Amino acid sequence: MSTKSLKVWYRVHKWTSLVCTLFLLLLCLTGLPLIFEDEINVWTGATVEPNEAAPGAPVVSIDRFIEDARRRLPDDTVTFVSRDRDSPAWFVGMAKTMTAPEPTAVFKYDAHTGTMIHDIPQRQGLMFTIRALHVDLFAGLPGTLFIGAVGLCFLASMVSGIVLYAPFMRKLNFGTVRAAKAPRARWLDLHNLLGIATAAWLLVVAVTGTINTLTLPLLGLWQGTELADMTKAWRGQPPPSTLSSAQRAAETARVAVPDMDVAFLGFPGGLFSTPHHYMVFMRGDTTLTSRLLKPVMIDAETGALTDSRTLPWYLTAILLAQPLHFGDYGGMPLKIIWALFDLVAIVVLGSGLYLWLARRRTPIESHIAEIERLTS
Amino acid sequence: MTAVRLWKWPLVLAVLTVFGLLAALLGQDAIWWVASWATLAAPLAVIVLCVLRS
Repeated sequence: MSTKSLKVWYRVHKWTSLVCTLFLLLLCLTGLPLIFEDEINVWTGATVEPNEAAPGAPVVSIDRFIEDARRRLPDDTVTFVSRDRDSPAWFVGMAKTMTAPEPTAVFKYDAHTGTMIHDIPQRQGLMFTIRALHVDLFAGLPGTLFIGAVGLCFLASMVSGIVLYAPFMRKLNFGTVRAAKAPRARWLDLHNLLGIATAAWLLVVAVTGTINTLTLPLLGLWQGTELADMTKAWRGQPPPSTLSSAQRAAETARVAVPDMDVAFLGFPGGLFSTPHHYMVFMRGDTTLTSRLLKPVMIDAETGALTDSRTLPWYLTAILLAQPLHFGDYGGMPLKIIWALFDLVAIVVLGSGLYLWLARRRTPIESHIAEIERLTS
Repeated sequence: MTAVRLWKWPLVLAVLTVFGLLAALLGQDAIWWVASWATLAAPLAVIVLCVLRS
């Protein structure tokens, strides 16, 4: 590699890293508890699980949960019903209007008894604060997109870091940490070792995290294109005056897609549906297919099946990116490994910051001279 | 030879990591989860070994 190329890559690595390091530290620190969010919520009592039921015990109609939720908040409207992935429980989301960005309440129901077991607190608590800092910095969509830009910056930093690894390690064996040398040399070796050993994981988490930040815009794209095409026959018609049964909509969807089960049921007029339809999102039962959703449109007035298509590739990419970013698909050992990678990432970021602070008074020519010394 | 010496271990660790990430997602049996944990732990184990050796 020529000295000129080295200078360019060095500058790319330095500036892309500097721009995003503090935000990445925030993302790593907040991401650590989020890996164990389910467990923390159970330990702190923020999540209530339904009682164990006998195998094959009958389940209650979704309509019963919805009636109960409406009784509790008669001035609000039901926007969605969803099924818990891990336990026999359903959630009913309520909001002031169908298009309100935030729910006023989410009630959790025992699927077997129909009892409301938890009125889940909205927009409060430590885990909410941590999640908001990780997802949107309390700034809504602009905050999420900003984090996406940080992700892109980090990708540039990673690629340039991998390119620079070669000249820096040309005279050293893999994994060398020169403990007897000055602290800066030791931290440079650690920065290189930790960064290159975890590079694949860091790249995957950065790419999937960046993809996740595009969820809302891409959902809007789907609504404006494919979903609009699926519902063009209803365009201009008034919304249904009375809604058919949500339970019946779920059963119709199960018949239409027999190898999958209901994950989420969006009510007419909401973010995930159309003014005339229930949108039932179905999921499979394997680790992979339980993450991939298939939408089934049900006429909200007649309860009849309207259409069912697979999601477009960009929404499938988002659904696939979620487990690969969260690390929640391989049991507790995978979560612990995810947390250890996260800690390594914090050390990589911290050591990079230290290396810059230790050398920031040194002109770039001496940095290049050091690289040239390593490459000669 | 230099390229092989430089990139052999980073590439091995990257392949193990990608295998581990996909094994738990695509595998249907518990063995795939165990394979995922083992291969994803490899880069972390290598880091510990290198630091201890220094």
